[in-house]
Amino acid sequence: MGTDGRALRRFLRNPSAWLGLLVMAAVLLMAATAGLFYPGDPQGMVAKPYLWPGQDPAFPLGTDNLGRDVTAGVFHGARVSLWIGVVSAAICLTIGTLVGAIGGYFGGWTDDLLTRLTEAVQTMPSFLFLIVLVAIFQPTLATITLGIGLVSWPTVARLVRAEFRRLRGQDFVLAARSLGFPHWRIIFQEILPNALPPLIVTTSVIVASAILTESALAFLGLGDPNVLSWGMMIGNGRAVIRTAWYLSAVPGALIVLTVLAVNLLGEALNDAANPRLGN
Amino acid sequence: MVLRMPSLSRRAFGAFGAAAGSALLLPRSLRAQEEPVRGGTLRFLVDPEPTGLVPLSDTTGANVMLSCKITEGLYGYNLDFSLRPQLALSHTLSPDGKELTFKLREGVKWHDGQPFTSADVAFSLMTLKTSHPRGRATYANLEEVQTSDAHTVVLKMKAPAPYLLNALAGQESPIVPKHIYDGSDIATNPHNHAPIGTGPFKFKEWQRGSHMIFERNEEYWDAGKPYLDRIIVRFIPDAAARSIAFETGEVDVGGDYPIPYSDLERLSQVPTLGIETRGYGYGPNISAIEFNLDNPYFAKPEVRQAVAHAVNKEILLQNVYYGFGEVATGPIHQAHTQFYTPDVHQYEFDPERANQLLDQAGLPRNGDGVRFAVSHDPLPIGNQHIQSGEYIRQALAQVGIQVTLRNQDMATYIKRVYADRDFDFVNNTMTNSPDPTLGVQRFYWSKNFKPGVPFSNGSHYSNPEVDRLLEAAQIEQDPAKRVQLFHDFQKIVAVDIPTLNTIAIQTFTIHSVNLKNHTLTADGIHANLAEAYLVS
Repeated sequence: MGTDGRALRRFLRNPSAWLGLLVMAAVLLMAATAGLFYPGDPQGMVAKPYLWPGQDPAFPLGTDNLGRDVTAGVFHGARVSLWIGVVSAAICLTIGTLVGAIGGYFGGWTDDLLTRLTEAVQTMPSFLFLIVLVAIFQPTLATITLGIGLVSWPTVARLVRAEFRRLRGQDFVLAARSLGFPHWRIIFQEILPNALPPLIVTTSVIVASAILTESALAFLGLGDPNVLSWGMMIGNGRAVIRTAWYLSAVPGALIVLTVLAVNLLGEALNDAANPRLGN
Repeated sequence: MVLRMPSLSRRAFGAFGAAAGSALLLPRSLRAQEEPVRGGTLRFLVDPEPTGLVPLSDTTGANVMLSCKITEGLYGYNLDFSLRPQLALSHTLSPDGKELTFKLREGVKWHDGQPFTSADVAFSLMTLKTSHPRGRATYANLEEVQTSDAHTVVLKMKAPAPYLLNALAGQESPIVPKHIYDGSDIATNPHNHAPIGTGPFKFKEWQRGSHMIFERNEEYWDAGKPYLDRIIVRFIPDAAARSIAFETGEVDVGGDYPIPYSDLERLSQVPTLGIETRGYGYGPNISAIEFNLDNPYFAKPEVRQAVAHAVNKEILLQNVYYGFGEVATGPIHQAHTQFYTPDVHQYEFDPERANQLLDQAGLPRNGDGVRFAVSHDPLPIGNQHIQSGEYIRQALAQVGIQVTLRNQDMATYIKRVYADRDFDFVNNTMTNSPDPTLGVQRFYWSKNFKPGVPFSNGSHYSNPEVDRLLEAAQIEQDPAKRVQLFHDFQKIVAVDIPTLNTIAIQTFTIHSVNLKNHTLTADGIHANLAEAYLVS
């Protein structure tokens, strides 16, 4: 992988990469310092309800209808949203990579079987499928994260499978085979690293859409009522959107920024990994 | 002239009785006495989507709201609770109070063309006695219904039932066709979802998740009525979208606080809309925290008292209910002026005391400051129960009770609480009905602990003295003595708190100013709407 250095330089020359990194860093910082600045339960009632942003310097983003600090909420919400984005993307990547790699590498009936499975999951409207999963298993952080991972892996599986189909006939794979490497080693140490660039780009999209999906669930009242996420803050605030719009606008803006940042990063990675596209 | 609520109105709205009423009775729907107009389609909003249309066994609010358009009762009730003949024309009561005779209306036909007779009434009342969550109490003394002729029924009772004449509205005691229900399982009869009644509107269709259509009954017994051609029932699950639907004129009417309290002030400024607080006397609503007394923690009186000391009802009233109501003091709603007494024990808001009680109960805090952990299920109707749940979790965290909230749909909630009894404590809103024997007794009477029956004694409360008082009030013919029995009952329950009553709610209807005659009775838009009409 001698192209690493050049790819990194291309990445760092890209202004959207910097913008994405900057916003991501800010969100990560919020998540990391939530416990430091706002120890205790972010859902605690700490002040008068409906304080507008700026009205009381102690609560720079105001308070909601139960007198909960919106600033504490968005800091802690960053944790939940990022956690869901990263963990469900990891679940999705694990399943998708395994299915795609095994199918693409071995071909034949294994491939047929796994492709059919992938298609079967893909034909179900994923958000509705997710709502059903969450409704059956109670909305908790764990079931929501797992659910998002379980409904979104087919994209990854198809991508990985295509990459494996492309790579498995190449010389370095034949060389590995003729040296008698076991299958798992060829899959994970030889082919997978070469299939990584498109996978990394897809991952950024998956993280972003997982954050959005959780927000949509929470907005519909199917979030985990025990942890505060940005989507849930919007869902709580929307009943008073005319009179206290900041309750929806603040977490809404954060979701937009975070998803934008993740997408910018993904795009920059894509450009860096595919130099031919950029120029 | 538009109804405008002054900024002080939140509290004023909450004050029940004539003063608050008169200020709100002004909408022009009442002042203008025009000739009714025939025709038009009424767009009626309910939330959530009903689970059925005949409240024989499932008395979920939305079902009750719609039922009477199709299925009628023996009597209606004017705003002053005087009787309005419906399927019954008149009644006579024997001096010992044990024999109640009704003369029924003649020439009435079911929507499928069969004649309505005394056999239908006898069948319906005996069915309500076993299937209806409140019917068990209402008809407990009813032994037999005799049908001396096709249009006379005689109710034979083993003891007097003074409350029974209050329970005959179609929403409380629906009269259903015997030829449809006889021999079937009442709760699962398919006609619960496609009812056949005698009412002014016929059921036409129910597209699940979308709408229902009720068509005018051309052969309605009250010739010339109904004035409307059709009712389209809309389900809009999102609270903000419901407010917008009213503002844009997409729906004409909705009741039982159809929009968030927070939007009411804004909607009261919309010139095309009116707000009506009358028409809820038949069943005022009371919000409560209901404990499962089979739970080892909530079985201890100290724990329930600690919860009562830790929850500030005033915060719930002001921040979740936006001041639309009053803090409840006990199991009977303030609107039931004749039965209500404020002279009961109150557990004042006092977290210190709550902590002491929990220490006394042998539930010390662990290293994380947690004494014990329980789950809380808010009733999944409207936003207020979830918001109340969020407040309750915070309030109890202060005294070391760790609460996990669970959200679910209505069917899951009912199964969890009343069938599986897989819950610790809930917060919900219950109707008090027109008489405590009918609306209140069911939650506290040990004989109404019936797993599987929605809105029965879900806490599994059992107190022999309370049973005795409630059973005495069921048959007491002397009104003053009956009131005293209920006062004694309130005093005991306010101490025991199997259910912590939190808010006596002021409910309202939102309607287009073009809709007239929507609230003529004590049950407002729950009634049959035979006389409602639309002007353009």
